[in-house]
Amino acid sequence: MRPVRERVLKVTFNADVHAGLQWNFRPQQSEIYVVPGETALAFYKAKNPTDKPIIGISTYNVVPFEAGQYFNKIQCFCFEEQWLNPHEEVDMPVFFYIDPEFAEDPKMAKVDSITLSYTFFEAKEGQHLPLPGYQ
Amino acid sequence: MSTAMNFSAKSFKPRPPDKGAFPLDHFGECSAFKERFMQCLRDSGFESGACRERAMAYLQCRMDRQLMANEPLEKLGFKDLMDEKSEAERGKL
Repeated sequence: MRPVRERVLKVTFNADVHAGLQWNFRPQQSEIYVVPGETALAFYKAKNPTDKPIIGISTYNVVPFEAGQYFNKIQCFCFEEQWLNPHEEVDMPVFFYIDPEFAEDPKMAKVDSITLSYTFFEAKEGQHLPLPGYQ
Repeated sequence: MSTAMNFSAKSFKPRPPDKGAFPLDHFGECSAFKERFMQCLRDSGFESGACRERAMAYLQCRMDRQLMANEPLEKLGFKDLMDEKSEAERGKL
């Protein structure tokens, strides 16, 4: 995989928690500048300010919608339950890259900014994570 | 609510990460590496490309402490940096 150096993209980071989850959750950087074909690291931070352990689970979304197909997460903290003890605070990394094919898609020619949003929910049994997009 | 009429061949579905989820670093074992990386980002105007060595060091920290599955760094997009390192080492011999 070769970096496409002439195509700098701004990746901005969003963090949300569902109303029922009492975590504080935020990105540790508001944006980074990447190029397609080069791996990148970014961090979120989560804190459980309560006196009880809480298990969260997250999903993510990419805007613009059509850019999402080029967004490849190598490793992150999403889709699996994450347990935070009372008053615990942790770093949550996201390791990703934008597929170099992004630079060859004429529909992406005017896209210079991508927003990555993570939303945490409280993990409950039998829960179905709401996933954006068409199923 | 508007619907996105998407006729393109590829459509976006959120996908699980390729290598799965990072276990949480409950004891902050790699916090110092994270902090060095974040400092680099702040110093470079948030240019990811300028901080790849420190990103690599952070991931290496995780691997050393079983907070990430062991994977050759060359396969995580750091081949050029690893090649530089080997060359520098050969130069010292």
